[in-house]
Amino acid sequence: MSNANNNEEAQLHAALADDVVAMDETNSVGHANEIVARQFDAYAAIDQGLVEGMNRVGKLFEQEEYFIPELLLSSDAMYAALDVLKPHIRRADGDHKPKVVFGVVEGDTHDIGKNLVKIMADSSGYEVIDLGRDVPPQKFVDEAVAVGASCIAISTLMTTTMDAMAEVVTILQKLNLREKFKVIVGGGPISPAFAEKIGADGYAPSAPTAVKLLNKLLAPPASA
Amino acid sequence: MPYTQQERLLRALSKQNVDRPPVICTGGMMNAAIVDVMRRSGFTLPAAHTDSGLMAGLAAAVREATGFENFGVPFCMTTEAELLGSDVDLGTLECEPKIAREKFPTVSAVEFRDPRRLIRDGRAAVIVSAARRLAAAHPGVPVIGSLTGPVSTAASVVDPLTFYKELRRAPDAAHKFLAHVTALLKEFCTALLADGGATAIAVGDPSATGEILGPAMFEQFAARYLNELAAHVHALGAPFILHICGDLKRVKHLAAAIHCDALSTDAMINLPALKREFPHLTTMGNVSTFALEWGPVPKLATIARNLVRDGVDIISPACGLSTATCLANIRAVTDAVKEGAA
Repeated sequence: MSNANNNEEAQLHAALADDVVAMDETNSVGHANEIVARQFDAYAAIDQGLVEGMNRVGKLFEQEEYFIPELLLSSDAMYAALDVLKPHIRRADGDHKPKVVFGVVEGDTHDIGKNLVKIMADSSGYEVIDLGRDVPPQKFVDEAVAVGASCIAISTLMTTTMDAMAEVVTILQKLNLREKFKVIVGGGPISPAFAEKIGADGYAPSAPTAVKLLNKLLAPPASA
Repeated sequence: MPYTQQERLLRALSKQNVDRPPVICTGGMMNAAIVDVMRRSGFTLPAAHTDSGLMAGLAAAVREATGFENFGVPFCMTTEAELLGSDVDLGTLECEPKIAREKFPTVSAVEFRDPRRLIRDGRAAVIVSAARRLAAAHPGVPVIGSLTGPVSTAASVVDPLTFYKELRRAPDAAHKFLAHVTALLKEFCTALLADGGATAIAVGDPSATGEILGPAMFEQFAARYLNELAAHVHALGAPFILHICGDLKRVKHLAAAIHCDALSTDAMINLPALKREFPHLTTMGNVSTFALEWGPVPKLATIARNLVRDGVDIISPACGLSTATCLANIRAVTDAVKEGAA
């Protein structure tokens, strides 16, 4: 490939990252289509364009420049472009991504926090299995076993449902499965002390830090 | 003569001197209908969500057992969304009601109906009737009608992820919808105060935190409609208690500027410091519900005494209580606050 081409490809990566940060779904899809039309590497575009963009969004979120609406709109722009690029990925080793089972505990239907963590984990190269909201403790365990997950990530916004998180850990212990899975917890009322108290492996206060926690607990994935 | 519980609360809410702060639990998202109380009293959820006699009975049993100095109804934060069409799962004895399915996919799909008609039926009527029973049977005890705030109600009627995005993408439609939600809440307040004889209105808006919305949207979409609601309650001659969840951080000044008669916050907020920064505030809170669940009793008594010592105006839990909270832990708080007057 010529230098000119390299340069154009890099510009498209930068544009994709900017589109994600700018929450611009139309442009992100346009630039993704251009990547495909020019036969540039789709995987590189995801990694250096979309993931880079979401990383910047994550930083803006941590710095309290972006909030939930912005994060959601950026992730829409990311996913829309991802849909265009994914079928063109020329890689075969995508099967080894660590799997993480996500859900909001039974009794709680607030799933925004969980969705944010899911988005950030997804864009950081984890395979996410989303159980949705109002998930019974047993289902976390059953699904994690069924898909061969590395980690169970549990969320709640309500103090009233925190006990159900402990229940997941208890079930794992009873079934002698505790060592098979990392368990991480998060959500408004959760604290590191609570995570420790129920025997979880970790707690994260925000979506970007949840991904850092996953990276710490699990072997970091190759990439998206 | 000592103040009645109602006098003490009303005085605290209007910045008059009191012998000691009231210790209350508003109901709604911050209700104290714990399993322990339900088992002892026989007034149980979910039945009490839909029967005004049971609801009043449970509210009275909660007050009696916990020592909180008010009645608080209802015991959930789904009534408003249900009135606007969402499907609600009323839960179990241990598990509070939740939204099973939001009614509309987007704000532009919302069908607007007459709020005055909506609040006549269903659980709104049950709650108003429960308030009326409590007010009639227990003069001198404040009855607090607890409502879910505009943004939280809206995010329970329209798919919340879409709703948050539309605050940015379709602000005009979002405003129109929030105005509609607020109109319903106003009617609900009117019914609770005028027909139900409630003493005060408390509003919790957990989906409208600064952490979720950021300062600009908090001001445009949360504060604006909370102020509308507050003005309505004030026009009816009642006090307006506001609970803001989360770490206030960048919306602290905006939250402090909302026209409420008491501002209740999460446990992470240092209320004395908040009051030093905004001296006009009447502060309320903020006993950690984590501590309330896990105890031990001496720690809770200390937390309550410290809040009183530090000049917090009304003592109250900082968030929704776990239904597994044990009574002794709650009593440690209410007893410690009351002993201050002795």
